[in-house]
Amino acid sequence: MSLNESSLPLPGRDLRLPFGLAVVVLACCAPLLLGNYALHAVIISLIFLLPAHGLNLLVGYTGLLSLAQAAFFGVGAYVSALMAVHWGTPFYVNLFGAGLVAGALALPLGIPALRLRSTSFVMCTLGFVIIGQAVAKNWISLTRGDMGLSAIPKPYFALGPASFTVSGTVGFYYLVLAIAALATFAVWLIVTSPAGRNMVAIRENETLAESVGVPTWRYKLIVFMISAAFAGLGGSVYAHYLTVVSPLTFQMSNSTLMLIIVLGGGPGTISGVVFGSLLFVGLSEALRIAPELRMVAYGFCLLALVFWFPKGFAPLITRFWTMLRGRS
Amino acid sequence: MANTVHRRAFCLLASAICLAGAPVFETPALAQDNSIRLGIVAPMSGPNARYGAFSLRGAQLAAKDINAAGGIDGRKIQIFSADSQGTPVEGVSATRRLIDQDKVDFLIGDVSSSVTLAMQPVVEDAGVLLINAASSNPKITYAAGVGGFKWSFRNYPTDENRALIVAQYAAEKRGFTKFAVLSVDSDYGRSAIDFTKKYLPRFNGQILTEDYYKEGEVDFRSVLAKIRDSGAQAIIMYGLADTTPIVARQMTEVGLAGKVPLIGNGEFNTEKTIKSAPKALEGAVEAAAWLPAWDSPKSKGFVTRFTAEYREAPNNHAYVHWETVNLLGKAVEAAKSADRAKVRDALAKIKYDSAVGEVTFDDHNQAKLPMILLQIEDGKPVVKGAYSADIDYPR
Amino acid sequence: MLFQISEQVVNGIVTGAVYALVAVGMTMIFGVLRAINFAHGEYYMVGTFGAWVAIEYFDLPYPVAIVAGVIATAFVALVIGQFVMRRMVGAPAEAGVLATLGIALILQNTVILLFGGGYKFFEGGYIEPVTILGVSLAEQRLLIIAVAVLVFFGLELLVTYSRMGKAMRAVSQNVECCAVVGIDVRKVVVRTFVLGAALAGLSGVLTAPVNVSVYGGMGELITFKTLPIIIMGGLGNVRGTFFAAMILGIAESLVATYVGLQFRDTVGFATLMLVLMWRPHGLFSAQARY
Repeated sequence: MSLNESSLPLPGRDLRLPFGLAVVVLACCAPLLLGNYALHAVIISLIFLLPAHGLNLLVGYTGLLSLAQAAFFGVGAYVSALMAVHWGTPFYVNLFGAGLVAGALALPLGIPALRLRSTSFVMCTLGFVIIGQAVAKNWISLTRGDMGLSAIPKPYFALGPASFTVSGTVGFYYLVLAIAALATFAVWLIVTSPAGRNMVAIRENETLAESVGVPTWRYKLIVFMISAAFAGLGGSVYAHYLTVVSPLTFQMSNSTLMLIIVLGGGPGTISGVVFGSLLFVGLSEALRIAPELRMVAYGFCLLALVFWFPKGFAPLITRFWTMLRGRS
Repeated sequence: MANTVHRRAFCLLASAICLAGAPVFETPALAQDNSIRLGIVAPMSGPNARYGAFSLRGAQLAAKDINAAGGIDGRKIQIFSADSQGTPVEGVSATRRLIDQDKVDFLIGDVSSSVTLAMQPVVEDAGVLLINAASSNPKITYAAGVGGFKWSFRNYPTDENRALIVAQYAAEKRGFTKFAVLSVDSDYGRSAIDFTKKYLPRFNGQILTEDYYKEGEVDFRSVLAKIRDSGAQAIIMYGLADTTPIVARQMTEVGLAGKVPLIGNGEFNTEKTIKSAPKALEGAVEAAAWLPAWDSPKSKGFVTRFTAEYREAPNNHAYVHWETVNLLGKAVEAAKSADRAKVRDALAKIKYDSAVGEVTFDDHNQAKLPMILLQIEDGKPVVKGAYSADIDYPR
Repeated sequence: MLFQISEQVVNGIVTGAVYALVAVGMTMIFGVLRAINFAHGEYYMVGTFGAWVAIEYFDLPYPVAIVAGVIATAFVALVIGQFVMRRMVGAPAEAGVLATLGIALILQNTVILLFGGGYKFFEGGYIEPVTILGVSLAEQRLLIIAVAVLVFFGLELLVTYSRMGKAMRAVSQNVECCAVVGIDVRKVVVRTFVLGAALAGLSGVLTAPVNVSVYGGMGELITFKTLPIIIMGGLGNVRGTFFAAMILGIAESLVATYVGLQFRDTVGFATLMLVLMWRPHGLFSAQARY
């Protein structure tokens, strides 16, 4: 996949620098170009980018299909919300705490789950979401059940005596942009490291990977935890952005959406996932398509992805792009 | 990671951002057209969709009639609606959408107390005037007015009042002392029971069993059998309209119908509900903000008007939303401006003649309103009186 | 006390019969396709809506509505079978998961788009209570139990003696060999799928009068209940599925009474996780398929 393609010689001029600059400039100027509502759509898609990055490590690089992402997303949201509401801790502490708790929780859940294969593993991960929702609904004294936790404070930073609060859509956009950029960078570090290559080896052939000395079990467990931590970070930002969390944060459709982002964008590529979240979350939110219609479209996307585009829609668009360039 | 990948990334990102940006340039018409932009947040889908449909129709009817009469000082009311699905998260997104995208100045919503509680900080932040018309949790106005939120008002009686009059009626008029609780697991269902527990000892009442059900629950037989065996004389239920027929039917099945009545709130009084299980609902006691049988000229006029427009009798939620849009109209008229702050100040001082009596707001932005008590007799709701009580704000 | 428990057990058996009718189709589809059908509960929903439309829009009596609901489900399943399920023969397990998740999204939300997201009131059915040995039950519930028993008896005969049943068993044993001896695997898959979906639809129509409310999201709930059942029953095992459904129904009923209503829906998945971790092949042997 992408890692193999990467060694191919490049045709034409090296456009990395101009394109990189263009993206950075566009991302920084987005609030000037976009209206409040479109900016909201971009924020939501950047939030969903975090769990999608985690899921990509799991599905795209290691080859484990998981539906558990919404469970860790929910855990992150609740941890962050509870810390903010009860202890009033600064945002970065909540964010860190959410990622840490979600990642740590993945250890005891991952040990038994990862022993299972294919469909059983998928069902088990779905079970995490359902049980997570049940806990959120019934542990009334902690989570307030269906009533949800509301009035979660805006993210504020306290460094020594100075403190400031991020407020307004624009402020939040830059905050999320920074977090998403850092997360993307972190994923890039992981997948370009030797560990990343081992993950791909597990995806391609687990037995072979084991036989050449890759500790596959430990790898799968650690990747599962990292992906959970990413989901937790996303949940934390989500809770602070919406200012409420409810048990419906744990729902299968969230897991399905994250899967669609990864599979639709292109599993096993970083750019694909970024593209996927902007396309599937951002665009559909910005166009204000009725939620049911959106879900139907997602359903058809899943079918199309399974049967016709196993590498996602991204290659299709690149091909179109190169075709366009070829003509001009 | 390599060059192709990067370049591809940039192409894609750039194109995606352009795509995402496209709709910006077609943002809806600006808010400068002298109309009153009013947002309605209500559950249009999910288990409470019925409430949402009635709420929106009530509000639309009021707006239609006001606009047909020339508007308020020439200003027409323009209604924007958004679906809260009855959940706090969707409710907050819907509120944001109305404020950011539709640029509304005034909001009415939501039906569900949990959603309203989550909306309050959002409207406070945006400085948009929220008039709640259908949530009964006392906390909503504990935290409003002098309690903190300056932009939240409520034109609906609270559960504190309701729990008291239901308990009092059940004990004094019906002579019940042993109760079972079966309420919805939400801010509304739980707080009504909390207040019931506060007042029951006053009437020597006790609670034998206590269960809360999730929205969307359909199988109550196990719980109803438990209630039957506990020997309770009445079931205190603060529930939702869609669940009432299910519970009533299953009461018939387990043999509770005609022996143990439902008391509380959950639209026991509509024709359809009573028809679903007449025997189980006979003798049910309900405290509601309004019901179609309420006898006042304005109320009767509304029922006729609504039925003529939609060929369906209105419910409580249709009425309160209709009345609240009219109330807002009067406040705009009194303020002589559609400016949010001026309307808010006018609302705080308003004296408004509603179908159930004069409405004024206290320092917690809570309307002083009565609760109407009714009992189902021979398959018809019979009004047993209207009661109001003073609210005991926590210090 | 004993009476109370026996009443709850009866309640549980009724619930179990509903689950069994849905789960048996799911487990049969697993048998021939080796894929879990995450959309199976949606056929339960489609069947209910079919009957609801028949009653609400066409004023048909309930028995006719049952037939209408089942036919509507079978038709939807036939279309999906021809376009999607056929392609899944020999595909990896993950492809099955994703494709059926996609179908679930499409079916559920199309129905909501067509009929709105609110709860609908299902009129019809036989809801008058009858008393047997002191336990009071709606007639409809007796009907559900009777139909479930008949269906399982019929399936047993079908699978053992009919040509189609034999082909189903053969496909569940070895797909390649079937192709070699001339069994049209794709046809068997589609037929099994339509049969399974129609049973789910039947279950939906039969349950609607006692559950009263009909809404688009009802299928997902049933999918989540039947997933644990088919795993516990040993994937592909029809008899095992029947007993697992009964066990879950009774367990849920007892939990709702003695632990709390709010914990009922957790029973299934909690059991599933335990079973997966300790006995990944289910409580009943997965070897004795059908």
